[in-house]
Amino acid sequence: MKTPILAFTVLLMMCLGALAELKWEQTMIELRPAANDKQAIGHFKYQNTGSTPVHFKSVHASCGCTTAQSQKEEVPPGDKGEITATFNIGDRTGTQVKTVTVETDEATNQRTVLTLKAEIPQQLEITPSFVFWKQGDKADTKTINVKVGKDFTVKHIKVTSSTPDFQTKVEEAGNGQFKIDVKPQDTNKIVASMLTIQPEDSQKVFYATARITNAPNVPVAPAGATAPARPTAPTGQTD
Amino acid sequence: MAALALFPAAGEAVYFRDKISWRSAIAPSEMVTVEQARGWGDSAIWVDARPDDEFANDHVPGAISLNEDRWNELLPQFLAVWVPGKKIVVYCSSLNCNASREVARRLRKEAQLSDVFVLEGGWEAWLKKNR
Repeated sequence: MKTPILAFTVLLMMCLGALAELKWEQTMIELRPAANDKQAIGHFKYQNTGSTPVHFKSVHASCGCTTAQSQKEEVPPGDKGEITATFNIGDRTGTQVKTVTVETDEATNQRTVLTLKAEIPQQLEITPSFVFWKQGDKADTKTINVKVGKDFTVKHIKVTSSTPDFQTKVEEAGNGQFKIDVKPQDTNKIVASMLTIQPEDSQKVFYATARITNAPNVPVAPAGATAPARPTAPTGQTD
Repeated sequence: MAALALFPAAGEAVYFRDKISWRSAIAPSEMVTVEQARGWGDSAIWVDARPDDEFANDHVPGAISLNEDRWNELLPQFLAVWVPGKKIVVYCSSLNCNASREVARRLRKEAQLSDVFVLEGGWEAWLKKNR
């Protein structure tokens, strides 16, 4: 009885050994793009260590900001190749983790998740990036804090308002930090202004917004409000 | 023995089924269903966190495009129409997308806005309930 079981096991192992198998050099890549880079690109290299061809069934990125391409649809035994994952950075900051799911026709391990981790450097951290006053409020000064990223040196910043409705004043707070005091001329009229923040000796420009808002003129429903029988249109909605 | 070895993996698979690693953590109180958000009517602003091409193709009527591809350009446009006291409902394409969570996080942290919610199920869920 033991002999057939042993034979079956050996045969099974031989069959598995003969099957196609993609060996990935790494399934996770960490990148540190430069401040002005538009893209972060990861090359996930593989080799077919089996004895039959492997076919890619799908290569699918986790978000619209990432594209993934395979060089070939079929990988013959012994052949090498790579999946190229391109992450479009856009205006993202901080740690970004994007994944690419690869499906093949392998007998085992048909689905592999490749991970691209990118640390996007941030030259200036601006908090808050939005200051506002309600119409008729006292025209008090509000402060925007600016912190220089750890990999950068910024000694001075220049702030300009797109309209004369707001005055700005920069104060150096030391340790790579600045305070921007923003004061409206008055709060009688509804107005918005873009505050342009430019570090000295840098082409990169950052923005904040200052605004005089109108007061809300719609009743605010409780958070748990039930849906009406017919869909209620959001602002400006038509059926 | 092989079956026993599968137990820890099976346990993790069950425990982490809703905690996909690339998704930003978000409190349940910051999620909103389509029914709840619709119930807010005009006291909600809808924000579309999907890429430009998907927004151009179709979107929740009245929604404002605010994605991280063009955050610096789109944020001031959103802030120009934002009204204090209104709730902000951010959505992306589906249950598994992360863009709405990231946009909501940045609205809270960077612009320091409150009442920012992420739509459960995103655009797909909205479509199911409305078309």
